[in-house]
Amino acid sequence: MRLWCTSSQGVAWDWTWQPYIGVWVFIILIAVAYWLHLRRLEPSALKDCAQRRSRIVFFALGLFSLWLALDWPIAPLGMGYLASVHMVQYMLIALVAPPLFLLGFPASSYEKLNDRPRTVATLRNTAQPLVAFFIFNVIITVTHWPSLVDPFMSSQVGAFALDMAWLVAGLVFWWPLIAPVPAWPRFLPMFKLAYLGLNGIIIRPPFFILLFSRFPAYATYELAPPIPGTSALSDQQLAAGIMKLGTALVMVVAMVIVFGEWVRSSKKAPAGSAY
Amino acid sequence: MDTEFRSTPRRLRRILPATLTACACLLFHISCSTGNDGASGTGYRGWTMPRPQEKVDFTLTDTEGEPFDFRARTEGYVTLIFFGYTYCPDVCPIHMANIGAVLDDFRIEVRSQIKVVFVTTDPERDTPERLRLWLDNFDTSFIGLRGDRDEVNEIQVALGLPASVIEETEGSGYLVGHSARVLAFTKDNLAHVAYPFGTRQTDWAHDLPKLVDERWE
Repeated sequence: MRLWCTSSQGVAWDWTWQPYIGVWVFIILIAVAYWLHLRRLEPSALKDCAQRRSRIVFFALGLFSLWLALDWPIAPLGMGYLASVHMVQYMLIALVAPPLFLLGFPASSYEKLNDRPRTVATLRNTAQPLVAFFIFNVIITVTHWPSLVDPFMSSQVGAFALDMAWLVAGLVFWWPLIAPVPAWPRFLPMFKLAYLGLNGIIIRPPFFILLFSRFPAYATYELAPPIPGTSALSDQQLAAGIMKLGTALVMVVAMVIVFGEWVRSSKKAPAGSAY
Repeated sequence: MDTEFRSTPRRLRRILPATLTACACLLFHISCSTGNDGASGTGYRGWTMPRPQEKVDFTLTDTEGEPFDFRARTEGYVTLIFFGYTYCPDVCPIHMANIGAVLDDFRIEVRSQIKVVFVTTDPERDTPERLRLWLDNFDTSFIGLRGDRDEVNEIQVALGLPASVIEETEGSGYLVGHSARVLAFTKDNLAHVAYPFGTRQTDWAHDLPKLVDERWE
């Protein structure tokens, strides 16, 4: 029994269910921490029942995305057999779960951050849009670099580190867009659109490696027991497509939401105010 | 907002040295780990044998049911020989898929000088039809050979490889334990280099054209 999912270790793929206890414990710990956090908040912060429900739904969806990516069958397929599924994992962990987590916290949670000057100082450094953009893209580039990914995915600690790096990178990336710390300046919708748009079109080096290399880039997938109907190289090219188009799709969806909110707030705002 | 944006370059400057250092370390790591060219001292990425292995004379049956004289039919070619079976869950399909993918990528002048011979270690289950169908998944030019289990074991031992063994599994099935090494015979009818499991397509692509041109002086 494994705690965390790793590469195939030479075992041929079959659809036999495998438990990953470490993943369950991790997911349960996040859920319990969230529940305790909500309980500790002042009741006034959660007065609006509908709002509270929507926050919890967002958080639950984020948790579900994370669990989906880390547990059977996506995790073993992605960690050991198919680069394309690995890319789906990345999408779920770095691009889907983090915004849902951040949306799951009420405004008062972010207000409470002001009681912790050190945390605020750290966040102020990392959650600057340009810095966040930079950190996210460096982490995503490094954590997809073949010669680094192969050794990491072969151990449980390494695989855990990769997953956590994606999660942290995702939280850093989405923080400037979603986290509404009142004491902090607003990130104008126009800049939000540019931030998302740029991330949608940016081409990271791993994309080139995956799409244009003559031979499979990751030893993990090339030397894994093959899954009938797939080849390591075509799977890798599919992975590049998922990385590029999937990221672009998430960014476009986020841009539509931001734009919609911008239009709504413009209608509400009296003439001559901020935006 | 304005204050925050103005302070961004300063923050970037603060984290930039650390990031650049990390990137430099990464590039160094990558440059050190790209391939193992010349690791054996001969410029080959495969394992260079301390004493070259001579070709063995044997005749087995190919997938068309015709006798195949190994020495005669591979004379003047670079010949990769591998012992395995079509029900193999891991090593055999990976080796065959990697060699097949690389051969596809070669110019015809190089490609036409390489033969790949797959000898089944599981003649009971690997019928000629099944063997042909399985090899065609990787490359239609791959040669599939069958013979008695004892005969095949003798050939393996003569080539310096361990004899294959039957490993019973749950139920009525079984696995066949066999060597994971591909022997590469060059035009001098000697195998100077062998390729263990873990040989990647980049390694094959690097070594096979060299083996075709090799003179071993």
